[in-house]
Amino acid sequence: MGNASLIWGVLFLPLIGFLVQACFGGSIVKSGNDSAGKRVSGILAVLFIAVPFILGLIITKDLASLPADARFHVVTLFDWIKIQSLTIPFEVRIDTLSMTMVLIVTGLGSLIHLFATGYMAEEKEYTRFFTYLNLFIAFMLMLVLGNNLALLFIGWEGVGLCSYLLIGFWYKDLNNARAANKAFIVNRIGDWGLTLGMFAIATLLMTQLQVVPDGRFLSYDVIFSPASLAVFQANPGATTAIALLLFVGAMGKSAQFPLYIWLPDAMAGPTPVSALIHAATMVTSGIVLLNRFASIFAMSPIASAVVACIGGFTALFAALIAFGQRDIKKVLAYSTVSQLGYMFLACGSGAYWAGMFHVTTHAFFKALLFLGSGAVIHAMNHEQDMRWYGNLRKYIPITTVCMIVAWLAISGVPGLSGFFSKEAILGAAFGNELAVVNGFHYGALAGWVALAVAGLTAAYMTRMTMLTFFGGKEQWRDIPVEAEHHHEHAHEHAHEDHGPDTHEFFYTDAELAERAAPEEHHHHLDADYTPHEVSPSMWVPLAILAVLSAVGGFVLHNGHLLQHWLFPNGVPLLDAKLVPGEPEHGIMAGHNLMYASIAMAVGGMLLGYIVYRKGMPQREKNTETMLPAQVAAGNQFGYDNMMVDAAVDGGGSIADKFFFKFFDAKLIDGIVNGVGVFARGAGGLLKNIQTGYVRSYALMMLIGVVVIVAYVTSVLVHVGGVK
Amino acid sequence: MIESTGFGLLSLTIFAPFIGALILMFMPEKDVKNIRYAALAFSVVSFVLSLLVLSRFQAGTYHFQMIELVKWIPSLGLNYKVGVDGVSIWLIVLTTFLMVISTIFSFYVDKRVKQYMIFMLMLETAMLGVFLSLDMILFYTFFEASLVPMYFLINIWGGARRQYAAAKFFIYTFAGSIFMLIGIITMHQIYARATGGAGTFDFIAIQSQVASGQFWAKAMQAQPLIFWSFAIAFMVKCPMFPFHTWLPDAHVEAPTAGSVILAGVLLKMGTYGFLRFCLPLFPDAVKTQLIWIMGLAVFGIIYGAIVAAVQPDVKKLVAYSSVAHMGFVIIGIFSLTHEGMMGGAMQQLNHGISTGALFLMIGLLYERRHTRMFKDFGGLKAQMPIYSMLFLIVMLSSVGLPSLNGFVGEFLAMFGLYQASAAGMFGLNIGFPVVAGFGVVLAAVYLLVMFQKVFYGKNENPDNQRLKDIKPWEIAICGVLVLFIFWGGFFPNTFLKPMERSLGAVRQMVLNDEGSRPSYADITMDVNADGALVKVAPREFNGKLQDFQEVSIISPANFYFPAKKPASVQAKLENPHPSSLRSQTLSLGEREIGAAR
Repeated sequence: MGNASLIWGVLFLPLIGFLVQACFGGSIVKSGNDSAGKRVSGILAVLFIAVPFILGLIITKDLASLPADARFHVVTLFDWIKIQSLTIPFEVRIDTLSMTMVLIVTGLGSLIHLFATGYMAEEKEYTRFFTYLNLFIAFMLMLVLGNNLALLFIGWEGVGLCSYLLIGFWYKDLNNARAANKAFIVNRIGDWGLTLGMFAIATLLMTQLQVVPDGRFLSYDVIFSPASLAVFQANPGATTAIALLLFVGAMGKSAQFPLYIWLPDAMAGPTPVSALIHAATMVTSGIVLLNRFASIFAMSPIASAVVACIGGFTALFAALIAFGQRDIKKVLAYSTVSQLGYMFLACGSGAYWAGMFHVTTHAFFKALLFLGSGAVIHAMNHEQDMRWYGNLRKYIPITTVCMIVAWLAISGVPGLSGFFSKEAILGAAFGNELAVVNGFHYGALAGWVALAVAGLTAAYMTRMTMLTFFGGKEQWRDIPVEAEHHHEHAHEHAHEDHGPDTHEFFYTDAELAERAAPEEHHHHLDADYTPHEVSPSMWVPLAILAVLSAVGGFVLHNGHLLQHWLFPNGVPLLDAKLVPGEPEHGIMAGHNLMYASIAMAVGGMLLGYIVYRKGMPQREKNTETMLPAQVAAGNQFGYDNMMVDAAVDGGGSIADKFFFKFFDAKLIDGIVNGVGVFARGAGGLLKNIQTGYVRSYALMMLIGVVVIVAYVTSVLVHVGGVK
Repeated sequence: MIESTGFGLLSLTIFAPFIGALILMFMPEKDVKNIRYAALAFSVVSFVLSLLVLSRFQAGTYHFQMIELVKWIPSLGLNYKVGVDGVSIWLIVLTTFLMVISTIFSFYVDKRVKQYMIFMLMLETAMLGVFLSLDMILFYTFFEASLVPMYFLINIWGGARRQYAAAKFFIYTFAGSIFMLIGIITMHQIYARATGGAGTFDFIAIQSQVASGQFWAKAMQAQPLIFWSFAIAFMVKCPMFPFHTWLPDAHVEAPTAGSVILAGVLLKMGTYGFLRFCLPLFPDAVKTQLIWIMGLAVFGIIYGAIVAAVQPDVKKLVAYSSVAHMGFVIIGIFSLTHEGMMGGAMQQLNHGISTGALFLMIGLLYERRHTRMFKDFGGLKAQMPIYSMLFLIVMLSSVGLPSLNGFVGEFLAMFGLYQASAAGMFGLNIGFPVVAGFGVVLAAVYLLVMFQKVFYGKNENPDNQRLKDIKPWEIAICGVLVLFIFWGGFFPNTFLKPMERSLGAVRQMVLNDEGSRPSYADITMDVNADGALVKVAPREFNGKLQDFQEVSIISPANFYFPAKKPASVQAKLENPHPSSLRSQTLSLGEREIGAAR
């Protein structure tokens, strides 16, 4: 590994980019005239991600030249936390899994950054956006590269932070801020599991490992050493618990039922954020975690069955919800949740590599779908409601072509990328016998569900494509002419008398007038609007992603390239039974599975085409006339409302009325004050002593002395009797 | 024994502010400007002196250093004795540092400036005295003395209900510490009986008797009672549920600098007391009684978070969050694991920095708007971008975001609790860390909602639309705190290392059997780099203590509690390559673990 130290460039360049944006971004934008300055600042942001991509390629090439079982390398910078019993170095792990993710994160990251330079060009707080985005990449790289669980956790919560900041990017709308809070808090529930899992691993190794390796109990090379694996093997109960706790963490970050509820709301962020964070990279962290801990998950059939079933159920649940959505980004959000469920199904079935395969292909086509939807939204003057779309292929041909590729890829049309990864997953679900508990094949059960979901996916994606690009009718022409919105800003506030401002805390009236911001431009889609194709900085990334979505699957699948690249991964394990392929027996044996899934894809697409070929049916435009099932799907079957009501209204009122107002203020403080009141009341007897306070002190003292004498006596009795 | 006597650097550090207070008394009341600068000068002097202490501090030993002894009332065995070790070293620096920050902030105080500054300086002396005293009566004196200036700071410079809050603060803590006084006096008696000589209040002497096992030999049944008499005092101070209700009132009414000191330093007296007295002096009682303290701490973590979440007042929210955060300190310390105790001790500092910073920043807003109610704010992010950015970082540190300081302490403390619980030590079970972990989730709830209510949304209040961003000097003092937040997150070893030996020794004082416990009086023993207690070659008190020569091992570190291990495990462990693992891919043997790095 001659170029291993380049990894520090990969890791720290985005961080430097973040600092550059944070410290100098504002002045760079100001120094040019507005748009030129923004271009410089944007290009800088892209460069700090693109260079690490190139460095990543060099390292990957080095890594590939090593023999398969030696493809890992640990580089240490310094000891982050070092105490006598525990060492957590700042160390990174270069191996096939981490480098795969590095390439995805920096590669897609730079494309999406490039897209964003165009998409956000009109944004006032342009540099703040790129500051957060660069920071996100830095944390994401930390997550995938760290060689121990604590470093992973830095990245894990760090990407959560950036997600929080970016969802709430347009913070003036409180709904966005609330969506950001929801994302962070729900993720923290997952982090709770991850932390406990981390403790459980280290505690198990600390107490049972014979050789104590330098206190590095959280480092991967220790956790996956043969001695440690033997410990896990010998403690099946603990191993299952560990796997399930880690999975709780993965469920939070990768939006699995029941913790998926933050992801749809996260669409409040700018669209490039949705593409980068909430589709391609951050939400796949859970799958990366499961891949990393494959050797531990593979020891526990129960945990694997749980992973497979939750994955399968989430895939189905989210796919159904997607049919009830009219916001183009919401459709894609639920589609992401559903596809993530697919990836977990793969991991639960033991085909961890297939999960990573789908991570990769999904990153291509889902990033493309999101960016494409961003281009559509941009073209349609920031309208996200598909009710007002239709026939857009006429106006935005490049975007349309790219989106069609993505649509076909995700639907599972043979030859395109989604097809190969989906086949690998379904094959593993039916063929692998890892998730078998008490003789029941939970993996196959989830496989059947996933097969159905393949059809549903094709159908709702066709719905989206038809409504947006086809349908013959330009629906926005029907937008009723609304009375012009008058934004009445009550600038003429009655000035209150603030008194003299001796500390110069406030702006003077003159300064205030100077600061008065120009009216913000409000976007409106109206009947006379003509959509326009996006600029090259936006369609070039789309085109690249379209190519990847088309051929990426074939390239990676050809000769089992990715599968052999990812495992053995420097990590021992993977029994022969886990090497996937086509199921050997059962109804789905041989090519049957492939035929079935192609049939599902084609069937779903046909169904979608038939229903939506003429645009959105009239009854779907109004919630009142919609099919009840579709309304229910649109409401997430009431699940989200239930959770939010329970947590915010239920939990909040219990906290307020019971814990605070009753328990704390009345009961506990009541007792304290009661003693005081009693003392004061009794103190009334001692009228000669001056004020109320002093009197009550006096009595408190008196009572105190009595208590204390009693206490001293009892102590002395215990010590050995009063002499 | 240690007759290196007289006043020295430590005494100078303690009394420099007091001298300042005396000088301030003779300054004319009207000369407000000079009074302010004089007060600042003396707090800076004290800070510099504490840095000098830090630079002379030897991290490689658990023993007390720079001990100073002056006979006070020999007939009662009362001495003025101070010294510093790993448990107290950072608390000294934290105290003097936060005093400088809050003295600068106190330039905003206009009312009776002279008295205010005098009380602040006297408070500093009292706090430093608490952390450095090695005589238990001296400790008690400083412990109580710190109440008086704080009482007046709240009572005179506080908010609307200041008299109620000040009285509550005073009575509550005073009532708690009375028990400790009885405990101290009883210890004096027990010492006399145990040694057959005169009694003493000297902590080092008492502890050495405890370590040898003589102290409690004839008074075993009294140990839990006396333990609780100390513990009650410290629990009130921490504060732990259900003795916490003085805290929100005191915080809400206290002036900003008072809140910073209260949260940053005064609360640490409680946790410091646990580390300094409860653990070394009551080794048997600790092990039987800690389940109660743990239960209250875990409950307090959840309870404080829940109640914080519904507060309408920013300052009260942060006050309740202290109840939750101090719970993490307690669970760390009482887990009696090395990780936990290190984490708990680290969390003391982190809480001082981040909660101190939160109170400071809320104070900046309060100076401007004279309100702290959520309903008066909203949308300040665009109005005050720098302020909001600094506030965000401080808030995230309090949330415990990894890479900021709050994480390291919380993580290690939780880890310690988990280990002790998983091993089923001291009656703990796995429910404790599972529940305490939810406190981390809830911390995100109330802190993020707080941030949202103040900074997000539209800025619609006309009074807020006039607000300027904070001034450069205000940015500077917040910036220094933020710098420490990052430093603690990235380089926690700076803080952990000096504490390590002393905390390791405290841990062994509790867990080891009589006779093999570390003793503060016996400098022929020390804790080595592996955490083992060793016999060392002769050396001197107050001399060069670190770089000792090991003679023999008294007791190994025993960091990890034994797990309940099924018999089958042992057999499997002896065969590291079970057939179910594909051994041909096992490229990573134990020896390669080292090489791979």
